[in-house]
Amino acid sequence: MLDTTTSQSEKLNFTYVKRPGLLKLTIVNFLLGIITLGFYRFWAKTNVRKHIWSSVHINDEPLEYTGTGMELFKGFLMVFCLFILPYVIAITVATFIQGPESIIAVFLQFIFIFAIYVLWGFAVYKARKFQLSRTHWRGIRGTLVGSAMTYSLLYFGSLLAKSMSVGWATPVMNTVLAEQITNDMRFGDAAFKFKGRAGPLYPTYALCWFLTLAAIVAVIVIAVSSAGVSAYLSSVFEPAGGTESIEEMAGYIGLAILVLFVLSMLIIPMLWAIYTAKEMRTFATYTRFDGVPFTLDATAGSIIRLTVINLLLIIFTLGIAWPFVQQRVVKFIVDRLKLEGLIDIDRIQQSSAKMDSRGEGLADAFDVGGL
Amino acid sequence: MSVDAVYFDGETARDNAVTLKRAGSTLEFLGERTPLTTWTIAGLHPIDPPSPGQPFRITHDNKPGARLIIKDQAFIDDLVQQNSHLKGGYSWRHLGHVLGWTAAGLAGLGLLGYVSMTILPHHIAKVLPSDMKNTWGTQVVNSIVGTAKRCETTNSKAAVSAMVAALAEGGTELPPVSVEVYDMDLVNAFAVPGGRVILTRGLINEASTPAEVTGVLAHELGHVYHLHAEAQLVRVSGLQILASLVSGGTSTDMVTTAAGLAAILRYTRDAEREADEFARSVMETASVDPMGLKSFFEKLMKLEGGTPKDQNNSPSALDRIGNVFSTHPGTEDRIKEIKPLAAGKTAVKIMTDEQWQALRKACN
Repeated sequence: MLDTTTSQSEKLNFTYVKRPGLLKLTIVNFLLGIITLGFYRFWAKTNVRKHIWSSVHINDEPLEYTGTGMELFKGFLMVFCLFILPYVIAITVATFIQGPESIIAVFLQFIFIFAIYVLWGFAVYKARKFQLSRTHWRGIRGTLVGSAMTYSLLYFGSLLAKSMSVGWATPVMNTVLAEQITNDMRFGDAAFKFKGRAGPLYPTYALCWFLTLAAIVAVIVIAVSSAGVSAYLSSVFEPAGGTESIEEMAGYIGLAILVLFVLSMLIIPMLWAIYTAKEMRTFATYTRFDGVPFTLDATAGSIIRLTVINLLLIIFTLGIAWPFVQQRVVKFIVDRLKLEGLIDIDRIQQSSAKMDSRGEGLADAFDVGGL
Repeated sequence: MSVDAVYFDGETARDNAVTLKRAGSTLEFLGERTPLTTWTIAGLHPIDPPSPGQPFRITHDNKPGARLIIKDQAFIDDLVQQNSHLKGGYSWRHLGHVLGWTAAGLAGLGLLGYVSMTILPHHIAKVLPSDMKNTWGTQVVNSIVGTAKRCETTNSKAAVSAMVAALAEGGTELPPVSVEVYDMDLVNAFAVPGGRVILTRGLINEASTPAEVTGVLAHELGHVYHLHAEAQLVRVSGLQILASLVSGGTSTDMVTTAAGLAAILRYTRDAEREADEFARSVMETASVDPMGLKSFFEKLMKLEGGTPKDQNNSPSALDRIGNVFSTHPGTEDRIKEIKPLAAGKTAVKIMTDEQWQALRKACN
């Protein structure tokens, strides 16, 4: 504890201190979710955040989540009334007047999907802003001070650039996006800064990209050649043309291709964990809080382990264990995050930024990742 | 008893060491940089439920951004024990809130659903463009009659006109209608969007007098007048589109599916009652004998349970729809509602015997 009249800088240590009660929270959330036909999700989310936030300690002082379920509920209501309901009504009317093959309805669906893409970044930014402004540490809250619309346009542009460059714009675009949102981030009046080039990410990106290509080519080659070989074998051993065994053979080939496909669906994301880890490490060193850089000790192996276990948790509990999944994600970051310098904490003043009164309705509707 | 605590004022991140003590129903704390502050215990809120061995973090109504952190376990236990509102966690009030909002949300959805299922379709039906009604009507008729041929001779046409004319007698404003007879075994009649009434050969053969067929026609005219078919189609297609939106599938044309057709042609009890009322009033005004409708009704009651099966073996949804008088409960009440013409009124002769015979033989 510090109580000197002259303020002094100190090192910040991030620790995740597990608290009991998450299992009870999970069970109660699940039961109330059933009773309220899902309406409870906003309160459930809030309770879980309160629990996880308060387990994150910085220099023995926990974070605090001050958001409420009602704020999230209002955010949902707003999106439902302004976005989803008008769409459903418009589609219904169009289909009604023009029949099932209504051109207007198809057009509306197109507009709707387009709007989702355009607004995705907006949702990400607003959700981050809401969560930061509801996160307190030592009585001081965070915020984002920039424009969600700017970020949204940038985000949409990045989607276009990534797809048009067959992925090769990804390191550049991710760097630009991280820079945009991190530079808007504040804790009280202390600023986060992001500065760095995308260049160092490219060797790792290239490695993952070509490995993915190789994996896809390998799957195709194996599938085609095994089909060819088995066709040859069946023509040798079944000159009489026993159609049944050929069909059986075709069945096996189909199964083999399916297995290969599933394997590639598992292997390719794992390959990309190499890049994800590199990006996380790099972006951490690019990020400074009050002039001090971070480090994040993320490795491909640790990301794969985190993701696979989380997936299994979700699958085997039919999603009920999502609070534990979130806890694991937060713990993963907190355990590996370090701030490599000293911060004069006492100097930090409360943020004067206005707080949004409603929470992340769009992010909820789109199911934007994160917490 | 006074203990050490830490105070964050919510304005800077600086931690302030304070000395804290209970003074009656308040907490008082004071530190080197913190002037003497008094918080009422009633206005305190726990940030997290107290948990043994963990610092207890509280705030106060007067200063929601400020935090007081108490580490002394004895002090915490004492404070929490005497003030149950500091226990935090789940409360009945919280649960009440959530359930209340859920109930309100569901009630809102229910109301929306009720309005769009009962009141709205009728109003939409009224403003539907007539070519849309006609298109729907044609689709529905095609689905009902299938390959059955339309029965029409010069004389049967005259018989149909005579029935309509008889009902219009006395000045009732009848909706514009096209009455069509089809060669089907089924004993039934249908009102179809676009002001069309379909009578089957089975129905005409089952009737023993022109008044019976005319009574049925009057009932179907009631459906046409109240736009029941159109409203029902609006209702069903609205539901169908919604269902396809929710399931993400494409909406199929429900007129062509048996289940869809059955849903469209099955009217509510209120709709049947409205059609009955219309029929009774028209027949009274036009002096058409209502006892025809009544006797036909009773005849069908006897057939009930054995609604004539389609003898062509073609599995048809139409069998499941129920007949003109439907299989709703309350059929007997509806029969009782049908009263003879007022004393002094004599029933008109609806058509000539030749016309009646022509109508019965129209399909031969």
